[in-house]
This record gives sequence, structure tokens and C-alpha cells, in this order.
Amino acid sequence: MNSLPPTVLIAASVLLPLLYPLLALRGVWRGALRALLPLLPLPALVLALLSATPWTLELPWLVLGSTWMLDELRRSFLLLTALLWSTAGLYAAGYLGAEQLRRFCVFWGFTLAGNLGLVLAGDMASFYMFFTLMTFAGYGLVVHEGSDRARFAGRVYLVMALVGEMALLAGFLLAFRAADSLLLADVAVATTAGGADGWLIAALFLAGFGVKAGLPLLHFWLPLAHPVAPTPASAVLSGAMIKAGLLGWLLTLPIGELGWAPWGQFMIVLGFVGALGAALPGALQRDPKTVLAWSSISQMGLMAVLVGAALAAPGHAPSLVPLIALFALHHGLAKGCLFLAVGLVLPASRVLRLLLWLLLALPALSLLGLPFTSGALAKGAMKDTLLTLPGLPLGAQLPLLLQAATLATLVLVARYAWLLWRQLQPGAAATARWAGWTLAVLCSSVLFWCLPGVG
Amino acid sequence: MSLTALLPILALLSSLLAAVVIFALPESSHRLRTLVNLLAAVLKLGIVAAMTWGVFRGVDFSVSFSMLPGVSFMLRADALAMLFAGLSAVLWLLTTIYAVGYLEDSPNRSRFFGFFSLCVASTMGIALAGNLFTFFLFYEMLTLSTYPLVVHRGTARALQAGRNYIIYTLGGGVVLLLGIAWLHGLAGDLAFRETGHFQSVDPALHGQLTLVFVLLVAGLGVKAGMFPVHGWLPQAMVAPAPVSALLHAVAVVKAGAFGIVRVVYDIFGIDFAYRQGLLEPLAWLAAFTVLYGSLRALWQLDLKRRLAFSTISQVSYIILGVTLFGPLGTVGGLVHLLHQGIMKITLFFCAGNYAETLGVHRVDELDGAGARMPATSIAFTAAALGMIGVPPLAGFVTKWTLGAGALAAQMEWVVLVLLLSSLLNAAYFLPIVYRLWFLPVAAPWPEERRWGRLETNAWLFWPPLVTMLLLVLVGLLAPTAFSPLSWAQLIAVRMYLP
Repeated sequence: MNSLPPTVLIAASVLLPLLYPLLALRGVWRGALRALLPLLPLPALVLALLSATPWTLELPWLVLGSTWMLDELRRSFLLLTALLWSTAGLYAAGYLGAEQLRRFCVFWGFTLAGNLGLVLAGDMASFYMFFTLMTFAGYGLVVHEGSDRARFAGRVYLVMALVGEMALLAGFLLAFRAADSLLLADVAVATTAGGADGWLIAALFLAGFGVKAGLPLLHFWLPLAHPVAPTPASAVLSGAMIKAGLLGWLLTLPIGELGWAPWGQFMIVLGFVGALGAALPGALQRDPKTVLAWSSISQMGLMAVLVGAALAAPGHAPSLVPLIALFALHHGLAKGCLFLAVGLVLPASRVLRLLLWLLLALPALSLLGLPFTSGALAKGAMKDTLLTLPGLPLGAQLPLLLQAATLATLVLVARYAWLLWRQLQPGAAATARWAGWTLAVLCSSVLFWCLPGVG
Repeated sequence: MSLTALLPILALLSSLLAAVVIFALPESSHRLRTLVNLLAAVLKLGIVAAMTWGVFRGVDFSVSFSMLPGVSFMLRADALAMLFAGLSAVLWLLTTIYAVGYLEDSPNRSRFFGFFSLCVASTMGIALAGNLFTFFLFYEMLTLSTYPLVVHRGTARALQAGRNYIIYTLGGGVVLLLGIAWLHGLAGDLAFRETGHFQSVDPALHGQLTLVFVLLVAGLGVKAGMFPVHGWLPQAMVAPAPVSALLHAVAVVKAGAFGIVRVVYDIFGIDFAYRQGLLEPLAWLAAFTVLYGSLRALWQLDLKRRLAFSTISQVSYIILGVTLFGPLGTVGGLVHLLHQGIMKITLFFCAGNYAETLGVHRVDELDGAGARMPATSIAFTAAALGMIGVPPLAGFVTKWTLGAGALAAQMEWVVLVLLLSSLLNAAYFLPIVYRLWFLPVAAPWPEERRWGRLETNAWLFWPPLVTMLLLVLVGLLAPTAFSPLSWAQLIAVRMYLP
């Protein structure tokens, strides 16, 4: 039974961040730019928490004729996006200096609008539009610091992203021909029925979204770009934006259709290559943010394994897809906290310092899947499902591979913690920065359990 | 004379009379000239709007009289005519405003605006021409009225460029005339008709008709800037910015592309051209031009020159769309006739603003210009992203429709060309955007001028912002009635009727 779309709330969710950059037109509105940073994702958050799903909103006058929608899968991604951008925005308000604040906020607003919009998109053109907006505007966040390192990272980011976008455009065009429809919901069936074309479509989507999701061999930009951005931007890049690639896979790959088992197998292998392979280069890094970037590649590898499993076992796709969304939600929130922690300072009081390390440890332990953390839920469910699925490729090696992946995570988290221990200096930071980080930890460890779709 | 016959003539006369009046005005009467210019432009916009509404409702605007035995002068407003006339009317008004600011205090303004109006009258004639003969008349009038604009500055470079321009375009004109005369001998005086004239024709004529097709397309290809007869176009960018803007967006290159559309659909008929295998070679040539123009643009350091090579590439999108058999491809080509115009005129307006305000002509002098001229730079950025094909801007709608059209026509390789061209567009536009916003100002501006509160002269400030708004809206609201996309669909539906 479809619900009525809450039109005003939907419009506000996308338009608020989209129009927010207009505040940059006048220098005197600088204060408003900063103050609004954490508030931009709030309409989307309300939408994700309160609106009754599923709903579909037809906008036949927009672009090529648009359809926006919210279902349980999208709600989970919308929650993650809105929560993380909100806490990172609060953090950013206390992080950014006056210099180039306006430029940063312009790109922040546009990137956020893209990230939220693509979650709501129900048709190819809308999805591609918001995805592109996020990619292009994200460039401004990556190169913001203006260092040689940032500019190089920006260039690699942009070139790879552009090639990825072209793969997506070709995929969407072919899918449009095969499905004779712009709806994303029609892609999977058309791909399966499309013969040789279907293979090409699936390959283009796998690679095109693979760039964003940091699939091995398409990942080169990621350890360069994620760390050089200002810390709050790193958090959303690694926590939320990277998940757009995952969502893209879930919406466009022929999940739940018969005959894609070899593809599923390929993706499982590729996923494990990422999950395990990222540990070594990651462990050799000296910058905690770069370690986290490699850890993101590793964790996204595990999510790719799950997507591969859903392709290989179409009958179990209905139970695997929510699991993938749960994993994404867990990882996004935890990874966001870990990134935000890099920009913190040590308080003077010993008690506060102890508290700081305690709170710092929570998302790290969550990533490792320790009991009572979001990671325990997500990774436990992953193990349970993968190990009980009959006929999965690599079935015999799966327990070992999953243990190895846990070890890889442990190596990276330990390296990160060690580097952070050495790096954090006593000093003072703006209240908003503390508030943003604390709120992020709270979301990851406590509020997570209250979110719809969890448990 | 009935209103339906009067309106096409009035649309033509509005700019023609303006030209006469302006030539007659003394050089010093700046205000009066501006007033005449703007009044005529607004009047024409009104007439064209009225005719567009009429054509939408199915009214037949046409007028014709015999010139020689067997040759008639014929004006007729069909949906395709209004596509081009609408573009011309809207952009003329904006370019006039822009030119008034651009040529402030420069000599020979009377001559300039006189020929400027003549040039627009020619494009109106080209749009409304009802047969090949009338088309040719205005096509050549366009050549002659744009020459003085290209050489307006009178420098040695400008004169050289003008000479080249005349040689190329008159040469193209001769080839075109040859084709028209041959066709006249074969089939008589052919009025443009939405499904063409040769759906059923004596097979004995196929060989000759193919040769005629080649002649006509080759003659028109010169103005459309198709490889290998594009050489005049990059040189002609020595003209003042408003002229370049008009040349690249509406007048000259579009006249060539529009002519090819007319020849393929309304003379030969798309069915005939398809069955005779005439489309495929043209598609290859257009595709090559698309890539060639982009590749050459990569290496240009002069901003206007880079834009000129980009035009060579982008105009061939229109031709490419024409060659994709099927309504979607046609729609893609036709819609780009407008979209390219809106985007390219924005870019040239901005290039002119940088030149007039900061004295900047080269790409590598633009570092940090975004902070000094934010409005202009926002417009430039939007247009550049549009050219790359970033949704929801105008260029995306084109690219999507062309791509879908190519797939529908089973010409998958065209999609590859489109994607490659997008990447090349990104490669030569994004570095400019990067310089505008991310690099600090490297050196003092070569020749900075200041005008009060705005970043530049108000006459120069607003036109690119308006065209930027247009290039966002035509993409964002593409499915609404009277958008370029909807209008192109209307035309395509009529063209593929049996």
C-alpha cells in the first residue's frame, strides 16, 4: 500500500542544501552560512524518521520526467546520509576558519544536495543528476586546502570520477533502451532479459559505481582524496558519499534475478581482494586519515561481498539487501566518528582525557564488531547469513576469509589508534567541534539502536 | 493581405527596417540608435512569439510570389522554422543589449549595428524560407552582412580573417547554388515539406540525387564548420565578442546546420536519405568533426579560440543527430540547435566580459577571476558544465536524447563518440573553471576597468546571467510545453509521419 508523499518535506530536503549556497553571494551572510551547516540535512532527517513508506512522487515536468521515492532501502541510506552530514556539519561549524569559508560552504551545500537527492531518486535521470552533482561538488571539498597534495588528489579524483560517470551514462542509456523506461526499478529485469546488452549494462554499472565505492583497481583516488579534504569533509566522503556507489549497485545490478551467479562470484572475489588487500598498504601509512581511507576500501569490500552474494543467491536477495543497508549504516556512522576524531585536541583535565579516549574507542570497537556495538549486529548478521547460504561460491573458504577480514580490520583500526595516540595534542577547540563529534559518537553507539530498520 | 501572410513578412522587416534606420542615423545619436535597436528586437520577439503560438495551434503562416518563371520567393512558418526563429529572436535581443555595452565609446557604431540588424534579418529569412531558392537568397545575404562585422576592428588580423571567411563561405555558396540548380533541373521548384519529396522516385534518378545531396551538404557544411572546411571559424573569432557570440550561437554556423536539417528532412526526406545510405557517411564525418574540434580546443590558450574549436565540435552534434535515423535522434539534433546556441552565447558573453573588464584574453590569465567577477564566472561555469553534459543543464538533455537516439538507430558507436567528446569537453573546460575559482590571482589584470557597484558594465553584466538562467531552465524543465525539447519532439513527430 503506497503512502502519500510528504511533498513539502521532500522539497525542503533537497532545496534547502541546494539553495543554501546562495547565501555566499553576500559577504555579510557569512555568519548564516556557518550557523546553517548542521541544520541543512534536518528536513531529510525528519523525512527519513517520520514519513510512512513507501511513497512515490511523480514530477513529470522535471528533467526527463522524474520519479522520486522512498522505500525501506532508501530510508536506511537517507538516515545515514542525513545523520552523518548533520553531525559533520556541526563539527565543520567549529572547524572552519574564516578563510575561504564561503567557498567551502558552497561546495558543502551542493555535495549534500546531491547526496540526499540521489537517495530519493527513483528514475535514472534524477539519480544520475544528483550523483553527478555530488561528484563535481565533492571536488571542491577535496581540493579545499589548496596544497599540492590536495590538488594532485583532486585531479586523480576528478579524472577517475569522470570516467566512472561516463560508464554510468552509457549504462543508463543502454538500460533505457532495454527497459524502455526511465525507472530504476525496471533496470534489473531489463538487464536480465537483455542478452549481450545485459552483460554490458551490468559491467558498466559494476565499474561505474565501483569507482565511487572504491572497488579494487578502481580505488586509486580514494586513499588520496579522502584524507586531504578538511576533516568534516573526509568524514562525509568516507562515511556517506562512498555509500552512493553501494546504493547505485543495489538499485541497478540485477539482484534477485536468475542467471547472474558467475557475476556474484566475481564480485565476492573482488570484494575479498579489497577487504583483505587494503590492510597492507593501510598499515604502512603515517597519517591516521589515510589509514581510515584504506579501512573504508576494506569495509566496502565486505559490502561488495554481500552484493555479490545477493547476485549469486537471488532467492536470498530479499534478506540480503536489508542486511547490506544495515552494514552501510553501521559503517558510515562509525567511520564518520573515526574521521572526526582526527581533528580533536586533548583536554587539560585527566578525567576528560580518559572520557575522550573512551568515546574514541567506541566506534573503533564497533568497526571490529565487539559485542553491544552496531558492528556486532551488522557483522554478526553478515556472518550468520553468508555461512548459512547454500551453494555460495567459495563456500568452503568463507569462514577463513571472514576471519581474515576481521584480522585486516583489526590491523587497520590498531594502526589508526596508535597514530592518533601519537598525534593528538593538548589544546583548545571550538564547542561546535566537540558537539559534532560527541553527537556522531552518540549516533553510532546509542541512537543507532533506535533507528527504524535496526534490530 | 491576411495576418497569416503578414506576420512572416513583419518578422523579417522588423530587423530589416531597423537596419535601414540605423544606417541613416548619424554616428553621434547613440541613444536613438539604441532605442531603435531595442524596440525592433522586442517587436520581433513579440511577432515570433505570436507566430510560435499560431504554429502550435496549427495555423499556416505562408506567403509566396513568383520571382522568375519556375522560381518563387516563399516564406513559410512551420514548427522547424519557429525553432530557429525563436532562437534568433531571443538571442538577438540579448546580444543587442550586450553589444550596446560592449561597443560603448568605440568608433563606427552606426555601421556595426546596421550590419548587425541585417545579419539578424538574414537569419530570420533563413528560418522562414519556404524553399531552397529563398533559403539561398538569405544564406548569401548572411555572408555579406556578417563580413563587415568580422572585420569591424579593421586590424590586419581582422582583415585577413575576413578575407578567409569570404573565400570559404562564398566558395560554399557556389557549391550550394550548383546543387540547388541541379536539383531544380531534376525536380523543379521544391518547397520544404515535412516528409520530403523523394519518398517514391524513379530509381534512375538515385545516382544524380545522391550527387546533389553531396553538393548541398558540402556547400552548407562550410558555414556549419564541418571538417575539413572549418578553417575560417577559429580565425573569425577576432571579431568583437557580441559578433562572435551571434556567429557561433545563431547566425552563421547555425544557418549551415539548419540548412542541412532542411535538406535532409524537408527536401530529400529522412526515409530516402536513410534508404540510399546517405546518412551513415555523414554520421562518420560529423562524429569525426565532434572529436576533432574538441581535440584542437584542448591546445588553444586563447579563450575565444578555444571556444571557437568547441563550436566546431558542438555544431556537429546537430548534424550527428540528423543522421541518426529515428525520432529520438532527430529530437537530439534539433534540440541541440537551441541548446548549443544558449550555452555558447553564454560562454562568449563571459569571454567578452573578461576581455572588457580585466583585459584578459588568455586562459592562463584567468587565475582567480572568480572572486573579482563572480556573476560572470558563475555563468561561465554553468555553461561549461552544460557543454560537458552535466545534468540537469541543457547539454545533458541533448546528450541523453542523442545517445538514446543512437541506440535506437542501432548505431552504438555514436554513444562512444558522445562519451569521448564529453571527456574532452571536460578536459578543456574544467581547467578554466579550476583557474577561475581555485587559483589565486597571479598577476595584476592586464587592463582593468571599473564600473561602480557591479563587477562590470551593467549592459554586459545581465545578458550572460539571463542566458545562464535559460540554459538551466531548458534542461531542468525540459518536459514542459514550449521547452526546446518539447518543441523538437513536435517537429520530429511531424517529420516521421508517413
